[in-house]
Amino acid sequence: MSQLSVRHLLGIKNLTESDIYSILDTAAQFKDVINRPIKKVPSLRDVTIANVFFENSTRTRLSFELAEKRLSADVVNFSASGSSVKKGETLLDTVNNILAMKVDMIVMRHSSPGAPHYLSQRIPANVVNAGDGTHEHPTQALLDAFSIREKIGDLAGKKIAIIGDILHSRVALSNIFCLIKLGAEVRVCGPTTLIPKYISSLGVQVSHNVKETLQWCDVANVLRIQLERLQVKYFPSLREYSLYFGINKKMLDELDHEILLMHPGPINRGVELTSDAADSRQSIILNQVENGVAVRMAVLYLLAQQ
Amino acid sequence: MLLIRSVKIIDSRSPYNGQTKDILVENGKIAQIGDQLDAPNAEILTGDNWHISSGWVDMRVSSHDPGHEHKEDLTTACEAAAAGGFTEIAVLPNSQPALDSKNTLVYVKQKAADQLVAVHPIGAVTKGCEGKDFTEMIDLTQAGAVAFSDGVHAIQNTHIFLKSLQYLQQVNRVLMNRPEDFDLTVFGQMHEGEVSTLLGMRGIPSIAEELMIMRDLKLLEYVGIKSQTPLLHFSTISTANAVALIRQAKAQGLPVSCDIAAHQIAFEDSLLTDFDTHYKVNPPFRQQKDIDALWEGLADGTIDAVVSDHNPQDEEAKNLEFDLAEFGIIGLETAFGVLNTYNKTLSVEQIVDKFTHYPRTILRLPAHTISEGSLANLTLFNPDLEWVFSNTRSKSKNSPFFGQTLKGRALYVINRNKVEKCG
Repeated sequence: MSQLSVRHLLGIKNLTESDIYSILDTAAQFKDVINRPIKKVPSLRDVTIANVFFENSTRTRLSFELAEKRLSADVVNFSASGSSVKKGETLLDTVNNILAMKVDMIVMRHSSPGAPHYLSQRIPANVVNAGDGTHEHPTQALLDAFSIREKIGDLAGKKIAIIGDILHSRVALSNIFCLIKLGAEVRVCGPTTLIPKYISSLGVQVSHNVKETLQWCDVANVLRIQLERLQVKYFPSLREYSLYFGINKKMLDELDHEILLMHPGPINRGVELTSDAADSRQSIILNQVENGVAVRMAVLYLLAQQ
Repeated sequence: MLLIRSVKIIDSRSPYNGQTKDILVENGKIAQIGDQLDAPNAEILTGDNWHISSGWVDMRVSSHDPGHEHKEDLTTACEAAAAGGFTEIAVLPNSQPALDSKNTLVYVKQKAADQLVAVHPIGAVTKGCEGKDFTEMIDLTQAGAVAFSDGVHAIQNTHIFLKSLQYLQQVNRVLMNRPEDFDLTVFGQMHEGEVSTLLGMRGIPSIAEELMIMRDLKLLEYVGIKSQTPLLHFSTISTANAVALIRQAKAQGLPVSCDIAAHQIAFEDSLLTDFDTHYKVNPPFRQQKDIDALWEGLADGTIDAVVSDHNPQDEEAKNLEFDLAEFGIIGLETAFGVLNTYNKTLSVEQIVDKFTHYPRTILRLPAHTISEGSLANLTLFNPDLEWVFSNTRSKSKNSPFFGQTLKGRALYVINRNKVEKCG
């Protein structure tokens, strides 16, 4: 297993193509491990990892925690509710307090773009970004790439559509960086008000027509409409969104080729995806979740070698 | 008695402009200007390549006093101003309480009364700078307000803006607005563009500044009053279109003026990729085309003045996640050096005018020309001296220029019968 060029996983932006392949290849081996009767390896024995979550998360935290435990790491969890954050402690103080208890790695989710960068410049531990505001969510992009590669092979030349709220999505941004580095063609699609004005500067196509985009793509990665991040109004109603930008099974059936349907979860059933689409044959949503553990094991394992 | 030997006079309004002379200062006045002056008892100041101009004026300083004296107070603001070559500063009304009453204005004036640096309060347009109720602007003028503004709060309400503009003509004061349509900059952290997209950060689009300039200029035209001195002043403009709009308005004969912050011409938005909060400033660092346009505006006179936009922030407000950190840079000690370092087109005389003649005109301050018998309000400087910005007299240290070599610095300031060495 090869080495990474970075000490921290702050974002896909900071990874080389070879870093990404190292992670994906390592993840494939860990996927075998977690499908064995004994799912645990001793790779990170004596490594202590703190999952520091300043924002709500169920699946990402759970996925990281499982990955850590399957690598035999010691795990502590910290979440913002009921913690010192509410007493006005700074991020740096909070993390330094945790580090003082001899923690080797920090997995952090935070609502501020760049918060993991800030931390990585100031603390000795390895930092893994588990989502920083509307900036990056690198492990999600890696598990998405892993899942696509697993189903349809090499990403080079594949057409991937990212559909939904692009403006507020760290998943979209990390996916764009990752897919482009791996040679895929990327298109973002959503209501005009949820597409950043300068998004095409990242090398992606832009569309506002979901049907046409589904017809174009090999893979549709549908994003959650992030109601919790919409502090001001960007579209009239969820009803109108689901009518004009939602995806249902009928739309998938009408395509002249079969596509893969992905979603980072949690799904707003009946908004961006109807249940019959989410649960359809084309959907690999649960595979993504499974692969998430393997990919996170790979990330933690490779960073611990640094 | 003070004798300044062989100093080059930079003052576009003085008959001595461009000449190297001796200047004798006595009892706070310029007693004599000539060659080889003789004054046996005088303290002598002299050096290689020394220049002198009337004292520099900074039109935009956040003193944070009263209210946030842990960031800066009027005394340290004056010390930093003197260190940067300024003999007069205008302080923004965004203190706590705001400079919206006679009391607070008197406090500011009295607290700084003994300083070499003269402090001129800018009165708030609305109570608490909240954009709702007018302050008593005639009374505040009587109490010493040299101009009116809501400071860092752009005036959003069109009615308030229009009525302030009309009302202030009665007292011959300029209305200063920092153009930003807040509806378009909600949660904005940096210039909206490719870099903000890459960083997933909410942008402060150029159009937010330009729209407000368009609105304000239309209203100035609507008010329809002719004036030789500006009635409306835009503070810290930052975009190429903003320069174009103001250039056009001036050509139309509208009584408008504007300034830029010195640091605006130093950096682009691409510097933010490391999330360094020392570069977090509003208006944000934009792009090379904007910087180029600002230089053109400075050269052709569209941009009248350069300010420091000195905004001290303590460690606790800056050493944070980017979106939680405060905007602002301390600039009093670096303003001249920064402008001069990055300058490729302006003459020393043009630069000095941006710090002296134009600010005084806009703020209705008495003119100071270098001539015998006039008050000694002077800044001695060397435009070619290279120096490293390594310490500050401000209470705060939020500057991206620490450790940087700058060209040009002030050496001595003279005002109110006092002399201070800069830096």
